[in-house]
Parts: sequence; C-alpha cells; structure tokens
Amino acid sequence: MSLKILAVDDSKTIRMIVKKAFKTYDCEIIEAENGKEGLETASREKPDLIVLDITMPVMAGPEMLAELKKDPALKEIPVIMLTAESGKENVIQILKMGVKDYMVKPFKGEQLIERVTKVVTLESKQKEDEDTSKKYFSTVEDVQVLALPQKLNRPTCLEIERHFKSKVEEMVNSGLKKFILNIAKVGGANVTLIRLIIMVIQTCQKASIGIRIVGTAALSEELKGFSETSEVTIDLSIEDAKGAL
Amino acid sequence: MSDINAVDLRGFISGAMNEVFDTMISMDIELTDGGVQADVQGERIVGSVGFAGKAVGSVSIQVNDAFARSITAAMLGMELDEIEGDEDVHDVIGELSNMVGGDLKSRLCDGGLDCELSIPSIITGSDFKTEIKGWERHESLVFRHQEDGYVLKNISG
Repeated sequence: MSLKILAVDDSKTIRMIVKKAFKTYDCEIIEAENGKEGLETASREKPDLIVLDITMPVMAGPEMLAELKKDPALKEIPVIMLTAESGKENVIQILKMGVKDYMVKPFKGEQLIERVTKVVTLESKQKEDEDTSKKYFSTVEDVQVLALPQKLNRPTCLEIERHFKSKVEEMVNSGLKKFILNIAKVGGANVTLIRLIIMVIQTCQKASIGIRIVGTAALSEELKGFSETSEVTIDLSIEDAKGAL
Repeated sequence: MSDINAVDLRGFISGAMNEVFDTMISMDIELTDGGVQADVQGERIVGSVGFAGKAVGSVSIQVNDAFARSITAAMLGMELDEIEGDEDVHDVIGELSNMVGGDLKSRLCDGGLDCELSIPSIITGSDFKTEIKGWERHESLVFRHQEDGYVLKNISG
C-alpha cells in the first residue's frame, strides 16, 4: 500500500528535493507551504509521516507540531523536523517537541531516506522499475541494446544510469558480451548525453563488454565538437553496429 | 565567547559554503583572495537572512544571473531550459542563504551569542551596490566555481 508523506516547507526547492528523494519508493508526496496549510492538509489526508520545516512564515513548524499533538486524530503521526540550525540548544528543543527525528540542512536525499526508514517502512516501486527498464533496454539476439529517448534530461539520465549498471551486472553474470547504445532518437548532443556516453563506454570496457554506438550522421558531427567524444565512432544502423561487434 | 569580533566568521562561512555547495549541488567552490568581486556584476541576485539577539547582523549571498540559473538547475536536478521561471531561481538562492545563515547562527549560539534567524529575502537587479555602514564587523568573501561562477558572500555583525 502506498505511503502518504506530507512535506511542509515554505521553500519549493526543499519540497522538490524531498519529492525527488522518495521518487523510487511507493509513496505519495503531498505538499504544504506553511504550518497552517500543513495542519489543514494533515487533517484531510491523514499522512503516514510528516516532514516538517521549522522556520516558515504564517505558521512555523513548532507551532504546527504543537497543534498536531493537541489533536487526538493527528497526534500519533510521526514527524521528522528539517532545520538549517544544528546548534546544541536548537537540537535539544527539537527533540523536546516530541518529534521522531530531525534532519539538518544541507542534506542529501539518501540521508533523508535513511532517517525515514527508521520511522516508517518504505517499499520500492518494483513494478514501475521493471517497466522503466523495459522502456529503454531490449535484447537483439546476443546483443543488449540501450535506446535513449528523444529528450534526455538529468533525472532521465540518472534513471537510465541506474538501470544500465544492473544490466551490466546481469550481462557479466550471463556471459553476454555485446552492447549497443542507440542514440539515434536523441534530439541533440548536450553535456548530459556526453557524460552518459562516456560512462557507458568506460563501464563496458571495464566489464570487458564490446560496445558500439548507433546514431545519425548529424549527431556524429555534433559529437565531434566535444573533446570527450571527438574520437567516438558512430554506426549509422543497428546492423552495422552488430557487424562491428 | 561573547564578542562578534572574537568569532572566526571567515572560517565558519567558508566551511558552511563548501558543505552546502557540495551536499546540495555537488559543486566544488573555492575561496579566492577576493580580487574578483567585479565579476559579480550585471544582472544579479542577492539572497539574505538576518540574525538578531546577542549578535545582530546579516548574511547575504550574491551571484550573477547566469550562475544562479546553473546553481538552480544543479540543485533541482534539471537542465537549464527546464527551469520554470525566476521564482525557482529565487527560491534556490534564498534557501542557500538560509542554510549558510542557519549554520552560522548555530555556531554563534553554541559560542554564547544567542540569536534568531529570519526567513530569507531576495533582491534582484543590475543597477545597485551594497554599502556596509555602521556594523561592528563586516566580512566579504568571494568563492569561485571553475572559470565562470563567482559567489560573493557578505557577513555583517
């Protein structure tokens, strides 16, 4: 069953970082911009966990927490506080408020997940993960093919990178030794694409997997403009790449 | 410790800036000798937080528009062309100043200079200059990221 997590922070940036941290887990993230909105949302949605900022306009985190604790229907909801202040007095005060844990900013998404898993049980979006993997990866005879989408932004790239690493592991275990990176659909060369290409080439070489790249003539020209990929050979079809492997 | 002059403001801010940029943006920045302040010119953004109590002052972070957008894209995990508008950029710069200010506030409190922190405020524009007057102490630090990004950090107390 999907967990409901309420992120209360006046900063959209922090709410986005929280949302991103839970992306691979079976969670629904609901947001509120201040304590007042947070209380209303908590009453309505009954979340399984609240990630609550301290300093906010309209109603600050400690006030919202005090109100939560007064409400029999909400007082048991675990709360993890976010604070930019790591001072001793501040930490003691936070713990006295009855929160489950606290997180000092700056923090990485994985650090937040680590704290959260001590409070609630998170489950991976396994099914979705498998579907995503199928979207990019396919096997043609004895060749593993990774076909990149037209729009390659950083989150997509990170997702592909994650799947790619497990695919390489699978290939090593099963003895598959041929890999094709198909970039033909990618709209244009950018830094994200260059980084991904380099990462794929280096990982394959390290695992002793043969690698070829399939693309268009235009992309081949564009890649020559980047020092990192100026020497990379582009095949113009899967057949050509298979033949060269 | 109960005197703002006895506090290692430069050390505190330098440490906090490096930690915030490394943790939130995976971006290396280095403290320069201050000779590149002219690079934070033109269209720029200033994010500030104030602190008040036994220590009173403000911490502000100033970056040019282009670098602010690079920081925003890195912090939100998106490409430059995916940034929805100035609001996102302002929020990110405000949050960065909040994190650095929060770290300084914690260190001041731990050192006996109890104070409270304000929520961040943002100033944008190109035709303005910051003048520091009447404060007991003022520090200005310039950080550089690779060749093109400069961050000017002002702390007054």
